[in-house]
Amino acid sequence: MPRILVCYKWVLDEQDIKIVSLGLSLDVSRAKYKISDYDKNAIEEAVRIVEKNGGSVEAISFGTSLKQSFKDVLSRGVDKVYAIDSSIAENADAYVTANVLAAAIRKIGPYDLILCADGSSDVYNQQIGSRLSALLGLPGITSVSQINCEGDRISATRKLGDCTEVVHIKGQAVISVLPEINSVRIPTMKQVLAAAKKPSEEIKIDALGLSDAELLPKVTKVSVKGFVMNRKNIVFKDANQKDNVSKLVASLAKEGLLKERG
Amino acid sequence: MPGILIYSDNITLTKQLITAGLLLKEKMNQPVYVILTGEQDLTGIANTAADEVFVLKGSNPWPESYADAIANFASTEQISAGLFGGTPRGKDIAAKVAAKLGAGLVTEAQSVEFDDGCLLTTRLLYGGLAVATEEVKLPALATIAPKTFEEAGSSDKQTEVITIEAANELNQITIGETCPVVREGVELSAANRIVSVGRGVGKKEDLSMIGELAQAFDAEIGCTRGIAEDYHWLPVERYIGISGQKVKPDMYFGVGVSGQVQHLAGMRESKVIVAIDMNENAPIFEAADYGIVGDLYEVVPLLIEALKS
Ligand SMILES: Cc1cc2nc3c(=O)[nH]c(=O)nc-3n(C[C@H](O)[C@H](O)[C@H](O)COP(=O)(O)OP(=O)(O)OC[C@H]3O[C@@H](n4cnc5c(N)ncnc54)[C@H](O)[C@@H]3O)c2cc1C
Repeated sequence: MPRILVCYKWVLDEQDIKIVSLGLSLDVSRAKYKISDYDKNAIEEAVRIVEKNGGSVEAISFGTSLKQSFKDVLSRGVDKVYAIDSSIAENADAYVTANVLAAAIRKIGPYDLILCADGSSDVYNQQIGSRLSALLGLPGITSVSQINCEGDRISATRKLGDCTEVVHIKGQAVISVLPEINSVRIPTMKQVLAAAKKPSEEIKIDALGLSDAELLPKVTKVSVKGFVMNRKNIVFKDANQKDNVSKLVASLAKEGLLKERG
Repeated sequence: MPGILIYSDNITLTKQLITAGLLLKEKMNQPVYVILTGEQDLTGIANTAADEVFVLKGSNPWPESYADAIANFASTEQISAGLFGGTPRGKDIAAKVAAKLGAGLVTEAQSVEFDDGCLLTTRLLYGGLAVATEEVKLPALATIAPKTFEEAGSSDKQTEVITIEAANELNQITIGETCPVVREGVELSAANRIVSVGRGVGKKEDLSMIGELAQAFDAEIGCTRGIAEDYHWLPVERYIGISGQKVKPDMYFGVGVSGQVQHLAGMRESKVIVAIDMNENAPIFEAADYGIVGDLYEVVPLLIEALKS
């Protein structure tokens, strides 16, 4: 019966981030946090594996304001959540994040299976699963669209652009899953209520035995600028669609975009 | 000796990375080392302007099994920069190498420069909403997406190819069957005009109407991710966006596409952007040159008719 750990990231919802036209900085004041979209697929997959094979699902995150995330995570079928809540996460790159998660996993592990999403919806670094596997000395498999567990054997189907590949693993592994691996179920009322009674544990970053250097990012941001779209924004919204259509066709004709007549 | 390392599991991409490596070399004054693994085809590599070519040869044909050997090479040579092809395999290998070296890695860098003792890179954040300029301490690694750089041309020099034995057996992993993904061969990035379908289209049958519109424009059909990945109405190579195809046609015409940033990131460099959507506040209109607010089931037939006459 596998003991599974899912890594998740508590990220700003990009839909609520606005670009300030002056200086193109990002206004995140309206943005709420969410579980990174694809991490929900990773959680869902862990829960499905346990529904089939027995075992347990725990989740872990390195970030800030993590307490707010517990209810959502625990209502998705996770048994226990670990949080490393630290302001160091604000400027952490994948190097630091992987160091922190690997150190925490050494403390609370071992796990038969560690699941990550292939990338997070904010920075989409696509590194954590691979880095964790290297740091923990475990097989690491990315871009996985299907997982089958049998005893201590795992088969993972990868999607690699021009081919699919099945990888068989004996023993523990770190697997990064693609969003297409499953459809995420919406937690039931019962699950949401039960979540409040499930355990959570905070792990202090100082207790992980990491050196200052291991917590110092290698990649630092010099600037972040909103991507500007300079478009004509001519929108036809008359009640009469025939009018709108002929105006649009006239505009497209001017742009030289109508099909040449042979 | 410190140098700039190049590796991709895809040899076309390796040639593109050599171009990026040679640009870095101008400022860094360090040699460009190209690494190939296993049986990768050497043709056209040894006669680029790259300084040295190494072939890592081990018994395991799985590209990922070379991550350790590449990391060993990088630390022995004390490489200062490593550019990896941004394929799924390449990203995995690059991250494993970065972890072993304790190095920083920038994913899908759009530009890479050497500045003030660091690598300076740019990349997209938040699904394409923002561009981040980042500074990476040396040794600095980056993955680079296909077609970010032109392939390196041939020079008149013939670089010696050095073969290095690599121990790349993996005990816990065996590779089972691999299947090529069947593609219908459409190269969306080459299309001059694209009509793109979003989830505003209610049923698969209604795609025939969109097909007619595309025909009236002489356009290829593209779509949003949901249409391909969730509904499977169109093949995945037709979906546009940050995780799909990047296109720059003369005209992008979205029908029932809301215009979320992840989709826009794949098409916002199109020359002219047109949209039809029921929702006046859909973000696609901010990204569009022309638009019609309305029910596509009413507007599209009228448009087809107007285009035909
Ligand atoms: C990390 C990440 C990566 C992603 N990568 C991609 C990517 O590469 N490509 C991509 O496309 N998406 C991607 N997405 C998903 C993306 O965020 C959006 O969910 C998706 O693009 C929306 O697709 P859509 O416009 O078809 O659907 P919706 O957002 O559901 O929009 C449908 C639109 O149709 C309109 N509509 C409905 N009925 C009608 C009608 N009768 N007439 C006219 N209009 C109508 C609605 O008003 C709406 O605007 C990604 C998401 C994440 C989190």
